[in-house]
Amino acid sequence: MFAYIVRRVLQMIPTLFGVMLLVFVLFNVFGGDPSLVLAGKHLTAESLANIRAQLGLDKSQFAQFMIFVKQVLTLDFGTSWSTQQPVSDIIGSRIGPSLLLTGSMLVVDLLIAIPLAATVAYFRRGLTDRIVTICCTIAMSVSALVYIIAGQYWLAYKWGLFPVSGWGNSAFHNLWYYVPLPMLMGLMVSLGPDIRFYRSFFVEELSNDYVRTARAKGLSERVVMLKHVLRNALIPVVTTVMMSLPYLLIGALVLETFFSIPGMGNAVVLAVNNSDFPIIKAITVYIALATMVFNLLADLIYKLIDPRVQLK
Amino acid sequence: MSQQETLLSIRNLNVRFKQEDAEPFHALKGINLDIPKNTTVALVGESGSGKSVTSMAIMQLLPAMQTLIDPASQILFEGRNLLELEGAELRRLRGKDIAMIFQEPMSSLNPVFTVGDQIVETLMLHAKLSRSAAAKRALELLIEVGLPDPEKKIKAYPHELSGGQQQRVMIAIAIACEPKLLIADEPTTALDVTIQKQILELIAKLQARRGMSVLFITHDLGLVGEFADKVVVMRHGEIRESDDVKQIFENPQDAYTKALLACRPQLDHRPLRLPVIDDFMKPGGYVSAGERQRGYSGDDEIVLDVQGLAKSFDIRHGLFGKKQFHAVKNVSFKLARGKTLGIVGESGSGKTTVGLTLVRLHQATGGKALFEGKDLLAMSPKEFHAYKRRIQIIFQNPYASLNPRFTVEQILSEPMMLHGIGNNPAERRKMAQDLLDRVGLPARSLLKYPHEFSGGQRQRIAIARCLTMKPEVLICDESVSALDVSVQAQVLNLLQDLQDEFKLSYLFISHDLAVVKHISDQVLVMNKGEVVEQGNADAIYRQPQESYTKRLLDSIPQGWTGGAPVLA
Amino acid sequence: MTSTVQAAPAMNSTPEVHRGFWALGWRRLKRDKIAMVSLMVVGAFLAIAIAGWFNIIGDGWRKEVAVPYAPPSWLAQSADETLPPAEEEAGARSDAPIVTMTEAEDPIGKELAIARQNMGKYASVETPLRESLPFGGDLRGRDVIVKTIKGTSTSVFVGIFGALFTLLLGTVLGAISGYFGGKVDDFLNWFYSVFTSVPDMLLLLSFAAVAGRGIKTIIIVMALTSWTGTYRLVRAEYLKLKNREFVQAASAIGASDTRRIFVHILPNISHLLLVQFSLLTVALIKYEAILSFLGFGVGVTQVSLGSMLAEAPAELVQGVWWQMVAVTIAMSLLVTAFSLLVDGLRDAFDPKANK
Repeated sequence: MFAYIVRRVLQMIPTLFGVMLLVFVLFNVFGGDPSLVLAGKHLTAESLANIRAQLGLDKSQFAQFMIFVKQVLTLDFGTSWSTQQPVSDIIGSRIGPSLLLTGSMLVVDLLIAIPLAATVAYFRRGLTDRIVTICCTIAMSVSALVYIIAGQYWLAYKWGLFPVSGWGNSAFHNLWYYVPLPMLMGLMVSLGPDIRFYRSFFVEELSNDYVRTARAKGLSERVVMLKHVLRNALIPVVTTVMMSLPYLLIGALVLETFFSIPGMGNAVVLAVNNSDFPIIKAITVYIALATMVFNLLADLIYKLIDPRVQLK
Repeated sequence: MSQQETLLSIRNLNVRFKQEDAEPFHALKGINLDIPKNTTVALVGESGSGKSVTSMAIMQLLPAMQTLIDPASQILFEGRNLLELEGAELRRLRGKDIAMIFQEPMSSLNPVFTVGDQIVETLMLHAKLSRSAAAKRALELLIEVGLPDPEKKIKAYPHELSGGQQQRVMIAIAIACEPKLLIADEPTTALDVTIQKQILELIAKLQARRGMSVLFITHDLGLVGEFADKVVVMRHGEIRESDDVKQIFENPQDAYTKALLACRPQLDHRPLRLPVIDDFMKPGGYVSAGERQRGYSGDDEIVLDVQGLAKSFDIRHGLFGKKQFHAVKNVSFKLARGKTLGIVGESGSGKTTVGLTLVRLHQATGGKALFEGKDLLAMSPKEFHAYKRRIQIIFQNPYASLNPRFTVEQILSEPMMLHGIGNNPAERRKMAQDLLDRVGLPARSLLKYPHEFSGGQRQRIAIARCLTMKPEVLICDESVSALDVSVQAQVLNLLQDLQDEFKLSYLFISHDLAVVKHISDQVLVMNKGEVVEQGNADAIYRQPQESYTKRLLDSIPQGWTGGAPVLA
Repeated sequence: MTSTVQAAPAMNSTPEVHRGFWALGWRRLKRDKIAMVSLMVVGAFLAIAIAGWFNIIGDGWRKEVAVPYAPPSWLAQSADETLPPAEEEAGARSDAPIVTMTEAEDPIGKELAIARQNMGKYASVETPLRESLPFGGDLRGRDVIVKTIKGTSTSVFVGIFGALFTLLLGTVLGAISGYFGGKVDDFLNWFYSVFTSVPDMLLLLSFAAVAGRGIKTIIIVMALTSWTGTYRLVRAEYLKLKNREFVQAASAIGASDTRRIFVHILPNISHLLLVQFSLLTVALIKYEAILSFLGFGVGVTQVSLGSMLAEAPAELVQGVWWQMVAVTIAMSLLVTAFSLLVDGLRDAFDPKANK
């Protein structure tokens, strides 16, 4: 087990290096010269040269890459080009709202999708199954944008059931007041595919031989489903959930933009709009790192819940 | 032996399965079957005979959506018609009065629960024991079924046990609540022959001790002679013959039964050609054509000389290390022209690896294979390409060895194209047609796709594919193991005819000792990668020298031994 | 000579029609009514899209044929009631003279006199702006229906070609990786893990940030970020099939690696690639909408379903809903039909998967 963890951590290094290389090539090589943007209105040859020196743009590409690597290792990405705030501060303040929104969305999604998927799989091939599947498909087909625009317009603006946008100061207040509408919109988008996805896990398990044995033992369909099948189907479900955890950090980009929630996703969109590279680079690297760590955690948890797995 | 009271009575069972594109498939055509109390009934048939369908129908385990059971059908058990049971009554029956074990123990056990939990579950459900009482009883059951190290194994997960051990666990679950009838659906088909013998002995012992009836389903008639009381032979959804075991073996009435008994290769004689079903079904019956002698003679031309063949696989071990798994260690033999060398062993013996290494589908880690003086294993891939057509291989799984998207014509012309045989497509098509005829398939098969053929027919196509290149050596890697007994006989006869006509040399790899004895001149016995014994076929089977060989030969089902109790 | 006794499994008694894999699947698909309806809907959309690419229809979407925010004809209200009074173009049709010089003082007096004489001779074709359109107009008075057609055409174009490139990239890399294994596989796996460590939207936006806008750009950007799913699928299939007996048999016969990859294995996964292509098209159409909405997708002079949705929030506040509804209907219909078609394809070519 220990050997496995060590080997995985060692494997993360080339991947992280690859991500850094990707980010560097994208932004430093293709991204164009930011000094013009930063100089702004006070464009003189002198200020340009100053900015260049400050950002290290007067050095070779290789040297710049080493600077970037150092930034990653010391977790210091400098300051934002648009707001002049330290990048780490910005990121630090924005993780909370993102997690609050996507975290609560994940919990509610699971609470609804899993039982519904199990029920539908139980009645598979029947009328219920077909109807629910088609409803999910139709729900999936409407663009998230439409849900959000329509939802915001009718539920918040016209009928005043929820605030149109915004964010508060206390986590509790946010959870009760600001989160529900974006969460509802997010669920409209995610429930459809999730129900279908989890349903397929259940259906696949139901076609296994051990289900036949369970029935031959005289167990009722209910027990077969809730005890034997569920326990097995949970394995891919847990794996999927674990793998989606890193995405919680990035927040729901579109939701945050619409509802003016000061989260990571919002930060990314603003940064891209402003060509604020330090923020984009930092967020990309952090998220990549988090993804790798969560993947490792997912594999370890997988080992815990599936006795067949042997980590080598 | 059998008492007059009937435990289960099947009357006019008529089952059809809905099909996508055609009329419902008539699986059981109104069969009648009686299972007396305290008796072992063997239900024998080849694939498609309906034997499994019969057993699954008893406990209503057939897929509800596709199954059509005639309302006039009845399955009477203790006065009730089982086909009319539903809900709680049906569930009470399952596992308590009637229990079932299946063919693939690995997938039939739930992988995420321990072995002990799965036995306890049944006990708590039907015997209404408390968890601790059930746990104690589960341990007793595991001891009774002979599971080694039961205190430890009771907490193990299914994948941690071997195939034979898993099947013992399944048996423990089945007998836990003292069923009156145990249905065993091909329980030993997936197991090695030595393990098979142990499981059969176990079932017979339990049957005698508990006085329960056993419905034993199998495709192997030879298997049942040692412990069945009554034998029922099925074909195409009908019962051909049903009688005491003594009658079936000594005085079979039905032509199909006779054919089934005869077309299995025997250990004590070797007919010139194996009898096939057709031989028995035509008027006049089967007439034996004489015996065939086999063995290497002193002046045989040696076509393939293998010396010290070795193959190891690397397995990851520890943090950075590798361990070696030696699949084949130091195997040497000589293959004579026009003769057959059989390699026999259980699973994991390395016999298949030998075959794959010789055609260079695996890279050998040591040794030589001399063909016309040149070492096949040492050549560069380009050099070897010219030799590919001369040494060919037929695989075990007929359902996977033909490309599903190719027509038969494409399958047969490809090797010809690759080796420059035939000058144009028309010539190649003619050659393909000739070969199809040679292997007994009609010319219009050229336009068909593999899925339109049965297993035996696909093997013929595979053989034809090899023949397009006019090889000298043919490696048959378990090539008949996946086929029904009667089809196996046909394919073995075909292989023999081809050897007689073209002087082909065969390397015949199989786990089936009787088949190997029938077709081989020389036999190599392998165990765990090494050659245990080697010599002329008759000599080895008559007087095995090594203990492993003796153990292997002992495990072969003896068939009917005249009523003398073979199993305790 | 032995004869074939063993009957072939449940063969149709119909005369010699030999159905290959695709023919069998097609028959199964035809039996699925929902899938067939979806197929026709998708086909209709494709036809519209192709017509749009070649500018057979939808070409005149830029023409401002109506007053701003013209309502749909089937609504009772006219433009006048919806909007604040239209501003008149500065100095357009006012008859009141602004200039108060006499002709003699006027420096261009002579030319103006000549022009006034010639005024009646030239007819200018100026069609009056319409008050309402079949499904309404947008901010600039452009016909929503024409715009929707052109927008759908663009979105479908982006979706299909993006999916094509993604499929190509993912399949080639996946095949090489799965078939050859070893160091090539290690390297491509590293490449794959780098790309999958970054969430989709983030990667898309990062690429978009440096690449800019435009149809060609987002096709390339989406291909560069979405290839990973196809790669994983194709690699797994090649790993699995490489060791199947029929591929080993091909090797034993003497088929080269190239032949095995393309002639033997590839046809056996073609149905999976078809499903993957459809899934990708749907996904990319949805992504394009979001990208264009956020301002990173198609260029300013182009229209797509996403860019049309971008105008929706502002319109809704003013009570103008017809453009959003048109886009929603078009996009939902297309994506629903496509998704149902994918389900049908999966069932038709791999029927065991859903029992």
